[in-house]
Amino acid sequence: MLILLKGGRIVDPANGRDEAGDLWIENDRIVAAPPGRLADEVHDVSGKIVMAGAIDIHSHIAGGNVNTARLLLPEKHQNHLPNPPALPLSTAKWSTFETGTIYASMGFTTVIEPAIVPHQALQAHLELSDIPIIDKGTLTVLGNDDFLLSLLRDGEGQAAVADYVASAVAASNGLGVKCINAGGATAFKYNARTFSLDDVVPFYGLTSRQIVEALQRAVEDIQIPHPLHLHANNLGIPGNVATALATIEAARGERLHFAHLQFYSYGAEGDRGFSSAAAELAAAVNAAPNVTIDVGQVMFRQTVTISADVLRQFNGVAMAKPKKSVIHDGDGNGGGIVPYLYRENDFANAVQWACGLELFMLIDDSWRVFFTTDHPNGAPFTTYPEIFALIMNRDARAEATARLPPEALAMTTLPSIAREYTLSEIATMTRAAPAKLLGLKDRGHLGEGGLADIAVYTRGKDLAKMFRFAHLVFKDGDLVVRDGRVTHYRWGKALKVNPGYDKAIDRRLAAYYDHHFGVSRDLFAVKENFLPRTGMFREVACAR
Amino acid sequence: MSEARIDGKPASLAAAAERAAEILSAARMPVIAGLGTDVAGARASILLAEKLRGAYDHMYSVRIFADLDVMRQAGLMFTTPNEARLRADVLLFIGKDLTKIWPAMMTRLSPAEIPPFDLARKPRKILWIAPGRGGAKVEGLAVQTLDSSDLHAALAALRARAAGRPVSCAKRMLRKLDEFAEVLKKARFGVAVWGGDSLDCLMIEMLHGLIRDLNKTTRFSGLPLGCDSNAAGVVQASGWMTGFPVRTSFGRGFPEHDTWRFDATRMIESGEADAAVWISAYGPEAPPWKKNIPLVALASPQTAFAREPQVCIGVGCPGIDHDAAEFSRETASIVGRLASHGSPAPSVAAIIGQIAKHFGEDASC
Ligand SMILES: [Zn+2]
Repeated sequence: MLILLKGGRIVDPANGRDEAGDLWIENDRIVAAPPGRLADEVHDVSGKIVMAGAIDIHSHIAGGNVNTARLLLPEKHQNHLPNPPALPLSTAKWSTFETGTIYASMGFTTVIEPAIVPHQALQAHLELSDIPIIDKGTLTVLGNDDFLLSLLRDGEGQAAVADYVASAVAASNGLGVKCINAGGATAFKYNARTFSLDDVVPFYGLTSRQIVEALQRAVEDIQIPHPLHLHANNLGIPGNVATALATIEAARGERLHFAHLQFYSYGAEGDRGFSSAAAELAAAVNAAPNVTIDVGQVMFRQTVTISADVLRQFNGVAMAKPKKSVIHDGDGNGGGIVPYLYRENDFANAVQWACGLELFMLIDDSWRVFFTTDHPNGAPFTTYPEIFALIMNRDARAEATARLPPEALAMTTLPSIAREYTLSEIATMTRAAPAKLLGLKDRGHLGEGGLADIAVYTRGKDLAKMFRFAHLVFKDGDLVVRDGRVTHYRWGKALKVNPGYDKAIDRRLAAYYDHHFGVSRDLFAVKENFLPRTGMFREVACAR
Repeated sequence: MSEARIDGKPASLAAAAERAAEILSAARMPVIAGLGTDVAGARASILLAEKLRGAYDHMYSVRIFADLDVMRQAGLMFTTPNEARLRADVLLFIGKDLTKIWPAMMTRLSPAEIPPFDLARKPRKILWIAPGRGGAKVEGLAVQTLDSSDLHAALAALRARAAGRPVSCAKRMLRKLDEFAEVLKKARFGVAVWGGDSLDCLMIEMLHGLIRDLNKTTRFSGLPLGCDSNAAGVVQASGWMTGFPVRTSFGRGFPEHDTWRFDATRMIESGEADAAVWISAYGPEAPPWKKNIPLVALASPQTAFAREPQVCIGVGCPGIDHDAAEFSRETASIVGRLASHGSPAPSVAAIIGQIAKHFGEDASC
């Protein structure tokens, strides 16, 4: 099948294009204009915006903690709308089916679930299997796992650490490695209530800094394309910009992805001891080309915080709204589920909102700042269209800013910022840069040979509407969305890496599981025969 | 039971599936009950319920919601058997029959071993509330027990004493409560283990209150033993597919959850449901209702029914006859199990898939 998208504005920063032109699709790929052939299907998209499908690098869409949150809050997702017969469960709020449907209708075609501990990996992949249309991937969470900590404590050397990390990622079919409050969840099991970069994990005698450094090196050693994805210490605490700056420093010029930086951009200035330090932090990011960040924007509404930073979540229990929460001392990280209501007239929430936007505006390089709300921690991903509007239009921002408590605004630099994102910068931040960051060479661009994951938008005055309802979306060359509505399901791939390593570590791990846990490590492996469909993994090459 | 029967007479699987589809399509409000099946079976059943605009429930819902209702009203702190085994310096067992619910519990938690990740590396302390007759035995360790005919009152009194509040009770009881409270407060990583029918919502909520209080100064968590027949795995699959646990209905074209309205047995006895699918792949459990309604059974071949189902199909046991993902009590997570004695006995997912084909060929899920 040969498809022609005729006369759209092609916004493809990966190939340096922003111009009117045609785009040809054959089967699942983008192809050069085939001389002498007629398209089987022509879509006149003149005046429309044509971009690659968007890629979300950090969104909590699956896994035990997410599912616990669903079960914790039935009253927050009552349904009212029957689903179309061809799209079973697509209107069931917060279901995996709805997740894929909404992402696709916004033009997203790849989404990464960033927090899967190895012992929850099978459930996570079962959930991902039930998310239609989009491709997905997981990051494997390490850094509070006893085997790793014992390797480090016993000084076993970097090769053993690298082998272990590779084995853990391979067994859980992950696409990369995430570290969440390194050592903090373990320290919490020993009754620590705070945990910072140079605090020591009891029993193991290791600092958070040592754990992060070891994981950062291991990821490079085994040549996973995505750098270590770090959720740092002291999330959400006034004055934690010091931790963020020290963490950037601790990367020693090596590659590091710093997750949801907004939650670490707080000073302790002012009468209330809470202020934005986003400008200072943005300057530090600008000066550290080895560092990428995603924002974790806050939006004002009811949400639920879902995090494997169990220590932080435990400390947040008193803030729960509604007043109920789950704290899980799991194998490795565990996690906490704390519902939360971000309010426009709340001083601290307003500062948080402004901090996120300051980071968007003040980090210069759109290849190094990524568009996230840390769904659902800062806001549900369904708020993305509103956020696009806020960063692309200073009037929209001024209007929203005017509703905030003035004393909160006084603690930020936001009102002084005039920047507006261009479409090309949006395409960089949500397409080209995520593909590069994750090592996904086949997507994030509209060049020949690229995967035909394509979003076509209707430019209008209402930017939020433009991004909420894509005019057309193709996944693997299949037209799945028309005028913001999904027409049919298809099933996307799970992207994974398969790093090479010395298999001797598997024998050690088998013995460790038998002795310590008293169960076989094989129980936790994600094997295809336990999933609803086979052939759904796609390997992303290790090597850079 | 031969592989399939229609009205008691041997039939092919294809004929049985076709007859099942006829029965279900004739129903106004069919209900899928039992749901003793692996994740794949639950998934297929929920998709079928959606097509039929029916409801679904699990055979152990009463116990499922004893824990789940507490969680969604007040929250919960919980941990895994691995963590309990490796770290718990204090184990607080609550209720009788725990080793009947989980025969491998003592091997798995190995209480007599010094917890390898405990800093103090001292023998564990074992407390047991309301163990029932002869229940509280841990090889190689002394067990402190607290008997009570009123478990809720005992837990409330213990919580009060742990928080330093007065309680009015007999002197001997007070001394016992204070001994228990001291051990709990001195725990470094304590774990409360409960399960079975003897604990209701109020008791579990009180227990959770105690756990929450203890965490003000030390670490303590909970380990509910849950129920058999992959109840937790079915609830998980239901959670990600619909947002809700079992006792959910598609009667209005979207999932609605209500523990009273969509109780399968209540729906059947009251006449609200007019056809049923009974699924029990893990063991020979028979339907608990008395009313005679059209019944399609996907059950373990040994199942003895009070009345012959209209359609009866023998299914294999997950993890034994076929590979399966299921929730494991050993790890408190969904795990994969390769067939231990692979056989041609069909899986629930395969049979439901055959039935579903009669409701439209779109294999979209
Ligand atoms: Zn996150």
